[in-house]
Amino acid sequence: MEDLLASIPDYAKDLKLNLTAVLKQPELTEQQTWGTAVATAIASRNGDLIEFLLEEAKSHLSAEALHAAKGAAAIMGMNNIWYRFPHLSGNPKYDGMPARLRMQVIKTHGSDPVDFELWCTAVSAINACSKCVSSHEAVLREKGVTEETVIAAVRIAAVIHGLAAVMDAELASPTVPTVS
Amino acid sequence: MLGVGQKFPTYSLTATVSTDKNTAFKPLTDQDYKGKWKVYFFWPKDFTFVCPTEIAAFGKLNKEFLDRDTQLLGGSTDSEFVHMAWRTHHEALHDLPFPMLADVKRELCSSLGILDPKEGVAQRATFVVDDENVIRFVMVNDLSVGRNPNEVLRVLDALQTDELCPCNWQKGEAPLSV
Repeated sequence: MEDLLASIPDYAKDLKLNLTAVLKQPELTEQQTWGTAVATAIASRNGDLIEFLLEEAKSHLSAEALHAAKGAAAIMGMNNIWYRFPHLSGNPKYDGMPARLRMQVIKTHGSDPVDFELWCTAVSAINACSKCVSSHEAVLREKGVTEETVIAAVRIAAVIHGLAAVMDAELASPTVPTVS
Repeated sequence: MLGVGQKFPTYSLTATVSTDKNTAFKPLTDQDYKGKWKVYFFWPKDFTFVCPTEIAAFGKLNKEFLDRDTQLLGGSTDSEFVHMAWRTHHEALHDLPFPMLADVKRELCSSLGILDPKEGVAQRATFVVDDENVIRFVMVNDLSVGRNPNEVLRVLDALQTDELCPCNWQKGEAPLSV
């Protein structure tokens, strides 16, 4: 984790400090925190960040929870595109057309169903599917999860998504540290 | 005969799982393979002609079924010893990767309603059963007609593409519980 933080350039210092903070929010359990970090890192696509966070997550998550968090990123990577299309198109004929896509992991992930919903919501926030965000948020609220908890997970999503772009940029064109 | 939407009957049978007499037999019940889907397929008699072809064909697709969290289970009214002899005797069945149920007392076949009234043996029936032991697909062939396991796989795929995501809710519908 220290290595990851040290590699974040100065112009993204806010994100660096935010990352440390959002991984310690009292609104989230350890499993919720790290499952969200894993799922949103995968959704944010930077290889280095995924490597760092998944390695770190191993000491915070059971094998089942890690598997489920990755599963949430995988399935929402597909579903966010699928369920976003009808409303992006503006053509109501697409509503309710059959997906004909497997999404069994939503049932078979083997981890806590509420936490899995939370990870799906965080990934949907990154992939910007309003239908998925609103429907998963509704499930969470129905299961008694507070808005404070939901938004804490979204904080993690926001920071990790921002950091992934920075790390992509640093890979393409590393910032030379200025001596002060 | 039991149909779609009905619970698969409870059973407790001996199954033949290999050709080695020390490890060949295993008790199986409807409660085994928890959380998995099951494809049960029955044939009339061991050592007859149509059967080994289709049984071996199911065996070849075993990995495809496992990938879909689905356990294959074959069965007939023959005993576990006859199953073992057949597996030993017939080359195509040596390494069969799934159990053969021995419904010697014909209890399971009776509760499924697939005992042929004339022959007194299992009809060539296929059941796809979901992870909650509910029958989702039934097919019965005439005793002389073999099955196409690829067709069973296609049906399984279609059954497993339920839109489980809450994103699939239409306005005004009651929420799914996931």
